[in-house]
Amino acid sequence: MLTVEQNEELTQVGPGTPMGELLRRYWYPIAFESDFEQVATKTVRLLGENWTLFKTPKGGRYGIVAEACPHRRASLTYGVVHEDGIRCGYHGWKWDFEGNCLEQPAEADNQNFRDRVKQKSGKAQTMGGMVWVYVGPDPAPELPRFDVFVMDGVRDCGYTTLPCNWLQIMENSVDPHHVEWLHGYYFNFVGEQEGFEAPKAFQKKHLKTGFEEMEWGILKRRVLEGSTEENDDWKIGHPLVFPFYMRVGGAGIDQMQIRVPIDDTTTWKLFYSLHHPEGLEYEQTDLVAYEYLWRDEEGRFITDYIEGQDIMAWVSQGPVTDRTQEHLGRSDAGVAMLRKMFKENMKKVADGEDPIGTVREKHEIINLPCEKDKFGAEREFARAWITGGSGRYSPIAQDLLDLHERAWANRERATAGA
Amino acid sequence: MPETGLPPDPHRLPPPGAWFSGDAERHLLDRPRFCPMCGDGLDADGGISTEYWAGDARYFMTWCGGCGWFGEVVRFDMVTITEVEH
Repeated sequence: MLTVEQNEELTQVGPGTPMGELLRRYWYPIAFESDFEQVATKTVRLLGENWTLFKTPKGGRYGIVAEACPHRRASLTYGVVHEDGIRCGYHGWKWDFEGNCLEQPAEADNQNFRDRVKQKSGKAQTMGGMVWVYVGPDPAPELPRFDVFVMDGVRDCGYTTLPCNWLQIMENSVDPHHVEWLHGYYFNFVGEQEGFEAPKAFQKKHLKTGFEEMEWGILKRRVLEGSTEENDDWKIGHPLVFPFYMRVGGAGIDQMQIRVPIDDTTTWKLFYSLHHPEGLEYEQTDLVAYEYLWRDEEGRFITDYIEGQDIMAWVSQGPVTDRTQEHLGRSDAGVAMLRKMFKENMKKVADGEDPIGTVREKHEIINLPCEKDKFGAEREFARAWITGGSGRYSPIAQDLLDLHERAWANRERATAGA
Repeated sequence: MPETGLPPDPHRLPPPGAWFSGDAERHLLDRPRFCPMCGDGLDADGGISTEYWAGDARYFMTWCGGCGWFGEVVRFDMVTITEVEH
């Protein structure tokens, strides 16, 4: 339970708010590279502000500036992209990548006037088939090259836009018990109602859960019925990566779950998956992006797959969860810990320090801890992940199933021949 | 423990009569206001105390923005000990 003021502080992401200032210290994926195959600009919304993301025609460089032109507020998304910046379609004012005004064609050539107007701008880079942006203060940190985005393998990414605050999705990431109930018991109930068999791997009872602060966020561990502390789920666990990811995986699949705070009541929710089961050779492949569904034609939540169940739980809390009405129990200790981590890092930013997870050194890859043997159910887990998760909407779902089966068969052959 | 009365800004409380308003009021009254380690005001120094229940006990997971103390403050009516297998 929180006070109204605490809840507002933790959920408001706009400029000038404590949380908004903290969140502006991180890079976010905001579009796919494939979005720019036909067009040079795209309006994107991030942290309560509208931006124009653009790509130069020859160099392929990405830039991001506030969408409204400082002259008369027309949208720069309908502007003209040059190699050195973007020109407003309305009166031709031209802005460079740092937001400096380069030209004001209908005005007298006056450097003072040009210098007086400055457009808000950020930094943009590509990684893993996505366009990433940073809209915080200089100096910008390095874009963290988390393993899932840079390793070799077959990759796809499901996405949708959800009408709720990003924090209620993050709190789900430090709530291990929901797996056994929402994806176990409830999934089984839905299966009985609709005539399909729900995956058994998610129905195992939690015997013990642990939360540990680490370099990148909070490491989450669990011991399930039939397992011990020697199993990967406890021994390795997987992290909530502060402030907007969760890293999960197992059975030859590695995934980053990404929750981009669009504004106080909207979140861009992505499941970025890398499939690379042992037994086959891989190289970097193009990202396949697809939209997954979460409401049916009658507007009801689609709850016959894992992420659809999660979305029901997140979105049905309302646009912003009213935490003055919640009643947390012992199993919600991770939620309380996450709130503390947000407060602690808001204070760091207010004190002029870098918050947790700020990367200042150039690097090739950041490997995150993540269990490989998931719930002791490898083959079943990979199949359930694809067919019982948002991956079922992927245009390459069957290819991925075949890939895992081929890898499985190769491993079986190798074991038999050993 | 003496009642100190509700904190200021009462209009931020849930509406009177709401099913949870009693809990919300108790939360405001009972949550720690000062760090158990350094005595700093938790609100003043950016701290946070999140309440959760475990049986009859009420736990306040508390972080002090002043000294960084992080732990739990627990209100209970009776101390109970669960014996481990032996």
